[in-house]
Amino acid sequence: MNAERRIWGQLRDDPAGLAGLVVVGLFLLVAMAVWLGLIGQDWSAADGARWETPGPDHWFGTNILGQDIFERAIYSVRTAFEIGLVVAVSSTLLGALLGALAGWYSHSWVDGAILWLKGVLDSIPFYLFVAAVAFALQGKGWAMHVAMIATFWTTTGRLVRAEVMKLKTREFVLAARTIGLPDALILGRHVLPNTIHILLVQASIAFVAAIKTEVILSFLGLGVQDGVSWGLMLAESTQEVLAGHFSNFLAASLMLFALLMGFNLLADALQDAFDPKQASQ
Amino acid sequence: MLYALRKAVYGLLLILGVTFISFVLMVWFGPDQTYTLVGKNASAEQIAEVRHQLGYDQPFMQRYLDYVTDLFTLRLGSSNASGEQVSRILARTVPVSLALMLPGFVLGNLLGIALGLAAARRRGQWADRLISALSVTGMSISFLVIVIALQVLLSTPYGLNLFPVRGWQVTDLPSYLSYVAVPTLSLVLVTLGYNTRFYRAIFVEEAARDHIRTARAFGASPTVVMWKHVLKNSLVPIITRVMFSIPLVVISGSLLIESYFGIPGVGKVAFDAITSGDQPVLKAVVGLTAAAFVLIQIATDLLYRLVDPRVA
Repeated sequence: MNAERRIWGQLRDDPAGLAGLVVVGLFLLVAMAVWLGLIGQDWSAADGARWETPGPDHWFGTNILGQDIFERAIYSVRTAFEIGLVVAVSSTLLGALLGALAGWYSHSWVDGAILWLKGVLDSIPFYLFVAAVAFALQGKGWAMHVAMIATFWTTTGRLVRAEVMKLKTREFVLAARTIGLPDALILGRHVLPNTIHILLVQASIAFVAAIKTEVILSFLGLGVQDGVSWGLMLAESTQEVLAGHFSNFLAASLMLFALLMGFNLLADALQDAFDPKQASQ
Repeated sequence: MLYALRKAVYGLLLILGVTFISFVLMVWFGPDQTYTLVGKNASAEQIAEVRHQLGYDQPFMQRYLDYVTDLFTLRLGSSNASGEQVSRILARTVPVSLALMLPGFVLGNLLGIALGLAAARRRGQWADRLISALSVTGMSISFLVIVIALQVLLSTPYGLNLFPVRGWQVTDLPSYLSYVAVPTLSLVLVTLGYNTRFYRAIFVEEAARDHIRTARAFGASPTVVMWKHVLKNSLVPIITRVMFSIPLVVISGSLLIESYFGIPGVGKVAFDAITSGDQPVLKAVVGLTAAAFVLIQIATDLLYRLVDPRVA
């Protein structure tokens, strides 16, 4: 409780972090409005002429098929949050689990196997890995998610492993062991909750990485399969910009930038709030 | 000696792991090539013949063993798609990717170190804040957005129209410079934010150590302190970052840049091999990248000993 209040206090005194929180919050509201079907539902309707300029009917103009770019950009907020949340939460949980196991049983075969797996995954060029996963899963829409989760956990795992190795020599853990609590209970109830500062920061970093990766994968044809995303809009725009149509590019890249910037500022502020020693530097 | 042996065994295990994962994903679950290779109206025997040539009739373990033996004996074979020898393909495409990526990679790291030093030296002042704010901004812009924006601004009539829009017709130095300019600038911009922030954090940490305070107390000028004491003592993390990003930048980074600008490098070849299921090419690229990773880890260890006597 006390720690929570301190962190809130820190965050309140950090204008950049607060701005980040507000931006992320606004985007989340938009995403929820799309989920509830309130806005952005006409993203696929081709009710305009090709490449209309921005006007009262189509605020950001239309694309080559006459689809409304504003609607598409808005609907893409939902896509971004779906990918970001799924990947950030799953990869962080996986990293926490594997990192905690490796740290708890450090220098045993469990630790060795997890470190080896991490080494192997870090040695495969990422986009080749994703492309391979996408193919192995036969063009399933969630191939991209699987590939990102399978590779993004390694950083979280390394940090959690180091933290757990530190924590397991502390008195409260020794006490829990002495009274005979099972390992799983000690890890789940006493050790992992003390790594929450790592997990929150890593999750926000993974969220940013997931959205940035989606853009590149969608350009390569391995990303979002049905629906629309900023990555698909940018991929569409690569041909349009050469012909002088910039609406798609500007709409997608500006919204993408705003969300990423918000998350990056929030991640920095979280990091500073959790680690006052670093923040003072 | 024991240490070297342990490193070698671990390196071998790593290569086996990478080849196993790549085998399972790219070969076992990968696209079936039978019908791209047999002609029209093939008979059952012809189909069986092609499947036999591709090894599809073998059990899983046998195919994996063949895959690994081919790799370790450097029998790379020929591309299924074009029939060209894989070693030839690599000899043709790897130099292109290196020529394409190296200038941006080097510049991105040098500029990152320079900006990191400048920020760390003025820690907390407006210059530091400005550099840090710009780093976060850079980290928030997508690679693809940077590439598109630079292409429009530098290579089309909507901007300065200075460089070729795409392609790679390199014959001499001026043509090389004109084709490499936009990719280099893109790579610098996309990595600079991350690099600067990383190097700044390292320099700030180093500058807070006791020996720096002592050097200052003895009257060393800020410039001497920064270059001789902070930079030199930060070489270990710098080397780690640079060395470990080489294979990833060359393969993964070149994949996007080469696809976007239509440049015939190894990233594009690898990507096409995945989407068409060209196993010999894939096997070579993935296996050699993993081997490069292991070699780089060993080289990094040696470099540590060179720059930091404490490691040895």
